[in-house]
Amino acid sequence: MTRRAFAALLALAGQAVAAEVAAPARLRGVDPTALGYTYAVGTFVPEYAPPAVGSYTLPVIQTVGDHPLLDADGRPATLFALKRGEVAVVAFIYTTCVEVAGCPLGNAVLKRIDAALAAEPSLARRAQLITVSFDPERDTPARMAEVRALYHPSASWRFVTTRGEAELRPLLDDFGQPVAKLRFADGRWSGLFRHVLKVFLLDRENRVRNVYSVGFLGPELVLNDVRTLLREADASPPPGAGCLASPTTAVSAPPPAGARGPSPRRR
Amino acid sequence: MRAFALIAVLLAAPLARGDETCMSPYMPKITGQEDYVYVWTLGVDGVGDGSDKLVTVAANPKAPNYGKVVSSVSVGGRHEAHHGDFTDDRRFFWAGGLDDSVLYVFEVAADPAHPKLVRTIDSFVRDTGGVVGPHTFFALPGRMLVSALSNERDQGGRTAMVTYNNDGKFVETVWMPDKAEYGYDVRVQPRLNRMLTSSFTGRQNYMRDFGALVADPEAMKHFGSTMVVWDFHARKAVQTLEVPGAPLEIRWALQPRHNYAFTTTALTSKIWLVAQQDDGSFRAAPVADIGDPKKTPLPVDISLSADDRFLFVDTFMDGTCRVYDVSDPRKPRVVHQQRIGSQVNMVSETWDGERVYFTSSLLANWDKKGKDNEQFLKAYGWDGKRLSPLFQVDFLAAGLGRPHIMRFGQERFYKNQIFEGS
Repeated sequence: MTRRAFAALLALAGQAVAAEVAAPARLRGVDPTALGYTYAVGTFVPEYAPPAVGSYTLPVIQTVGDHPLLDADGRPATLFALKRGEVAVVAFIYTTCVEVAGCPLGNAVLKRIDAALAAEPSLARRAQLITVSFDPERDTPARMAEVRALYHPSASWRFVTTRGEAELRPLLDDFGQPVAKLRFADGRWSGLFRHVLKVFLLDRENRVRNVYSVGFLGPELVLNDVRTLLREADASPPPGAGCLASPTTAVSAPPPAGARGPSPRRR
Repeated sequence: MRAFALIAVLLAAPLARGDETCMSPYMPKITGQEDYVYVWTLGVDGVGDGSDKLVTVAANPKAPNYGKVVSSVSVGGRHEAHHGDFTDDRRFFWAGGLDDSVLYVFEVAADPAHPKLVRTIDSFVRDTGGVVGPHTFFALPGRMLVSALSNERDQGGRTAMVTYNNDGKFVETVWMPDKAEYGYDVRVQPRLNRMLTSSFTGRQNYMRDFGALVADPEAMKHFGSTMVVWDFHARKAVQTLEVPGAPLEIRWALQPRHNYAFTTTALTSKIWLVAQQDDGSFRAAPVADIGDPKKTPLPVDISLSADDRFLFVDTFMDGTCRVYDVSDPRKPRVVHQQRIGSQVNMVSETWDGERVYFTSSLLANWDKKGKDNEQFLKAYGWDGKRLSPLFQVDFLAAGLGRPHIMRFGQERFYKNQIFEGS
């Protein structure tokens, strides 16, 4: 990682961990350089301008269902209720994560998206940000409220958790977000989770249209994708008004020989 | 701010000491010594059960079964097993057959020593609108990108890239652009939002007997001679590069600010550098011959060291690995050369640069015949100057088949365990 990229990443993460992160007590006594993490994810700072809004399509990757949640005020909620039928950016995190290329980066990017949405009210009305904890044991509604206070959401950014594993597992499985507790050799939980940061872009029909991990989790790219989905929605007729191909339409035959230019992206 | 300091130190520490250098950057990397080499292997009639299979070989010198076959799981039948790779979470290994375009998904996480076949996708051609010959598997977040070699309509070289989600559901097909219709490898440089594809030949050729193929001048005209630069996010071709002679494997440089990639051309025996220019476009240029191109040594797989210093280049016909110092990517120079066997194809270097693995098979109908048809996995140590043999497995004597692509596994990676002081 270059010094510039490293600094940029730290700056992003620094926003997220400006408050004391509750590192597990046992880890505080360990030289961090001696910790043998069993995997490492490459980190990248995008060095490009994202493609223009509407100049590309985002294929349907999967469809997710509704799931029960608890909001930061302790009130029952569901994913769809929070989403309100709009485009949503959903990030799975735990608030005591110490991997800079993990949850802190996700929070920092959503903070920037939140600020951009707040500056564009017409866009903010049509896009929801939802941060979901996968650590219900420690990330109680009260804890999520603390984190919400830290980030001072300006637009519609919700911090939610679940009542426990019974609600959490189906949610994680539905999205395809593997998470596991990292334990010491004696079996005790280290307080850390093995996970790869994934942020999901949902369209209005609750279909996953992009998944971002560290390499592509840039605020500008996510915002362009949100705008692209909204443009697509605006161009589509209301349900039942026609029979144009939806984004779930699969494939046509190979293009005829001699077709000019790249063939259209098939979904 | 204690936690912030902890994060900074963790980041500054060298994280990935093990693993392989050519996998998707989206994939978490194992650190330290690999325990296993997974080898996607073509079945051979009369050898063992005759079926394609995923073979697991113990690769940790501390293991009592070091250098031995730990397990193998057959998929039933022969499908021209070729390439494969892990999903973005590394829990599953996807592999494909070039002949009938069937995909196989093995679960590795539950028991890394004994991968289990958990899904077979036999609808690839139908799903994709007629794409044939799944080649490279490249993990994306939540998805698997698969480049292909051919199409159902004429079995020629016009082909596409295909995406499935991690649950095995088809997502999309993106056909190669006109005038650059052949496909082979696909590799993404996320930092630049650029994807490179290369080009080989269609099913009519790659399933044909090699001797008959090279004796057929008309057939030999049907090989790719282009690479395509893509806007990865938009999946749009932005540039077509002329790279004559079937450019095959692509390896992006791994160091920051190294905005270039290497490939080699099978039919013209050259190393090509594909480098970003000041205006953001890419330029392809030949930078070195591989052996004597007049003898068509047939360069096949390549592996780039994590520090971008060494490029390992296998040439099939003479069974040789040439190690180039590519510190100056425009002036590669051979620093070591070693014959690995009567034939050699795939090469994989570990991330720490200390071990290099080789397998022997190219394609079932292209492998040498008779006594020259050696089929092996060979492990070597690499000290920056020479390759030193570590172990080898005779895949014919062991009743396994023709070994092709290799990927690495590790027990503790999947144990969800944090190691103090290791």
